[in-house]
Amino acid sequence: MNLRRPIIVAGLLLWSLLPLIWQLQTSFRTPDALVGGSLTSGWTLENYRTVLQGSPSFWRYMVNSALVGTATTGLTLSLAVPAAYGLRQQAATLKRGLLLLLVAAAVFPYVLLFLALLELARQLGWGNQLLALAIPYSGLSLPLAVLLLQAGIADLPNEIEDAARLEGLNLWQRLHRIVLPLLAPTLSSTAILVFLFSWNEYPIALTWISRSELLTLPTAMARIAGSSIYAVPYGAFAAATVLGSLPLLLLVLLFQRAIVSGLTQGAVKG
Amino acid sequence: MNFISHFQGQPFATNKVESYSRGKSLSLLLLAPALALLAIVFVWPLLRYGWLSFHADSVITGLVAIPNGGANWIRLLSDGRFWQDALQTLRFAGVSVGLELVLGLALALALHQRGPGRGVLRVLCLLPWALPTTVMALGWRWIFNDPHGPINALLLQLGLPSQGFLSTPSTTWLVSVLADVWKTTPFVALLLLAGLQSIPTDLEEAMRLEGASPWQRLRRLTLPLLIPYLGLCCLFRVAQAMGVFDLIQVLTDGGPAGSTESLALYAYLNAMRFLDFGYSASVMLGMFLLLLVLSALVLVVQRRFQQQQELT
Amino acid sequence: MSSGGLQLENISRRLGARSLLHEISLEVPAGECLALLGPSGCGKTTTLRVVAGLDPVSSGRIWLQGRDITRLDPGRRQVGMVFQSYALYPHLSVEGNLELGLEIRRVTAAERHRRISTILELLQLVELRHRRPAQLSGGQRQRVALARALLRQPDIVLLDEPMSNLDAQLRDNLRPELRRLLCGGRHPVLYVTHDQQEAMGIADRIAVMSNGFIQQLGTARDLYDQPVNRFVAEFLGRPAINLLLPQQGHQLGLRPEHIRSVNTGGLEAKLTGREWLGNQQLLNLETKRGQLKMLTSADWTPPTELRVSWDQGRELWFEEQSGERVK
Repeated sequence: MNLRRPIIVAGLLLWSLLPLIWQLQTSFRTPDALVGGSLTSGWTLENYRTVLQGSPSFWRYMVNSALVGTATTGLTLSLAVPAAYGLRQQAATLKRGLLLLLVAAAVFPYVLLFLALLELARQLGWGNQLLALAIPYSGLSLPLAVLLLQAGIADLPNEIEDAARLEGLNLWQRLHRIVLPLLAPTLSSTAILVFLFSWNEYPIALTWISRSELLTLPTAMARIAGSSIYAVPYGAFAAATVLGSLPLLLLVLLFQRAIVSGLTQGAVKG
Repeated sequence: MNFISHFQGQPFATNKVESYSRGKSLSLLLLAPALALLAIVFVWPLLRYGWLSFHADSVITGLVAIPNGGANWIRLLSDGRFWQDALQTLRFAGVSVGLELVLGLALALALHQRGPGRGVLRVLCLLPWALPTTVMALGWRWIFNDPHGPINALLLQLGLPSQGFLSTPSTTWLVSVLADVWKTTPFVALLLLAGLQSIPTDLEEAMRLEGASPWQRLRRLTLPLLIPYLGLCCLFRVAQAMGVFDLIQVLTDGGPAGSTESLALYAYLNAMRFLDFGYSASVMLGMFLLLLVLSALVLVVQRRFQQQQELT
Repeated sequence: MSSGGLQLENISRRLGARSLLHEISLEVPAGECLALLGPSGCGKTTTLRVVAGLDPVSSGRIWLQGRDITRLDPGRRQVGMVFQSYALYPHLSVEGNLELGLEIRRVTAAERHRRISTILELLQLVELRHRRPAQLSGGQRQRVALARALLRQPDIVLLDEPMSNLDAQLRDNLRPELRRLLCGGRHPVLYVTHDQQEAMGIADRIAVMSNGFIQQLGTARDLYDQPVNRFVAEFLGRPAINLLLPQQGHQLGLRPEHIRSVNTGGLEAKLTGREWLGNQQLLNLETKRGQLKMLTSADWTPPTELRVSWDQGRELWFEEQSGERVK
């Protein structure tokens, strides 16, 4: 019993980290060392230099992804919070129906939507507009966001809102002064999940963005791979992986608790 | 609206205060923007595909939609590549989701003990899930590289020949399963762990007092109570795995010789490479129908299990 | 309609096919405290919520201080309410909880400060003013909720089971204090409870409710001595009234403290059990007219076979079918 846990922890450690550690060491090796050299030689920072001084620089992609992520999170929350709050006021049958539809939308493999969304983007001139990505991204994040937030709102005692109504707070004042402050933990976990989705999204960005200085991180990575199917520059690529993973590592480290509570709440209440 | 009927026929002076009905319509207004965006992103594409799938819209027609009376659907039924991809996608989804649920459940049960290092475990579980799929897909390409990747380097060291893991159809799809299982198993474990933690401990204690063995406790108490979580996990994972795109496109691009091509990738190729939008729409709707059938199946099985538990 | 106090005029509330309140009419003058007493689901909390405006009525009218408030928004009713859970805002301090409502009503900062200080002092909350609700005990939370209800100088104070989250001893101590703070002011008080002791201790009059009807309204004494029907007789009084097996369409009700042991006449009874209550004891008796509970002094040792009768004039007769009391 006492031994089991350390063994599991060690196993999980190897399972999760080994592929990442391999990437990390690859990022510091010269091309020669990668195709068979000893561990004592062939260490270099050249890969990072290549990636950061490339044209456009890797920073560009990170900034692009961060911009889209921030815009998506903002837009999603500003739509999802009123919706989740409005859902609470609806009659039970209507509410139940809407919740079921939201669950269906949340599990729907959204890759199926890319073609129609691409047509939309072409018609509205949103192709190659970085921030326009936030619109489909918000739409795709909304089901999960509304589900999480409405679960958080459902946990608030009814009597607190009744008390606020008696004190003369209108709908907006109740949302703003009572519900939002009490919802802060759910809000933060929802925000992080939405941001992660946006940061990692691939098929829509792939079809909407073609100009290289506007690429987001996943599309930029895939382009590196696609441009050289037979000989991916693995060293440089690994350096890019490491750089692109650092913000996520930071987010996961900082907000692990919020992420897990958001995910599990979605599972329990959804 | 319910409230209005309550008031009907009552001798009230209709003064300015109509708080109840006004509150209702105001709350619908709160929902409206989100519902509008959801309709654009989810409903409109499906309607659009329905329309497109009955039209020829490709380079041949000069990218103009011309009604073709269901020809796309007839073509779909006899399209060997579609059905081969369907089988490949099902194989991928079935094997990876099966492995993820079994391994994830085992991991969750093992982690369901109080102990130090909860935060570390959480991070370890979240990290593979949080990284972009495309990024790790490239990582796996390097790891299984022939002959310079670490796996083959290891084989060579052991005096074995290096393997073309990503150039042999029989191993390539297994690599794609591995990549998916690596990414998702800890995540599934995390969700199931939440389910385990929602089971009141006094139930477990009551069973121990009755002398139930750990295996009996698992069979008779834990698993039945976990069924809703397992069902939801299964539904979510099956839907996501059936739509696999990022991983396949970057890891193998459907190769070798189309042996790992998924339905989503086929639909993408039809639209973006062959520029046949009408047929691409049919492929996507076909895939959607397949998914509906599968989801219904998962739900039916879950319900059956649950009923069985209630009967025994 | 007369001015002052609260009047309910034939208030009904239906939800689909269910009738939650049925033609409720009552009047509470300013300064009076009326308790709504009944088992759970009887409509007492619904009555309170209808007065507050949190639930709409299906028909009838509500008058408060001479105004028809039947369809007025809850925020404009000048109602102070203490909720069962107290419903304090968890993210605000005691002071913040009190201030929010005044701020919404655009009371000036100076006036807010003056009013809050007064009420904090009245309820001995001054030292707790910066604490969050989670850092308060149950009794302290109740006082904050009361302060919030009184702060806005309400036209009526409503209390929904305000003692149900407190332990028994605290309840006994709080009853007189609550009465001192609430009753006899310029506003009427409606107090919802399922605990008859609480209702008797705090209220001037009691309305006993069940199934959405007011069964009887009167002083505690009236209800106890002159119940209009079997329900009221059974609901009030612990240990509960004895109801004998019906004879010729009538049923006799005898309160345990009105049963006496006699040498001749009366009913033959067999002792089947004793409960010692400290200063008294409760005897369980078996007679041919059914089970009886009898309250006697604690130091009497009863024989196993005895004859019992009751204090003349204290017996209550009910119609067997309707349960109405026969006068």
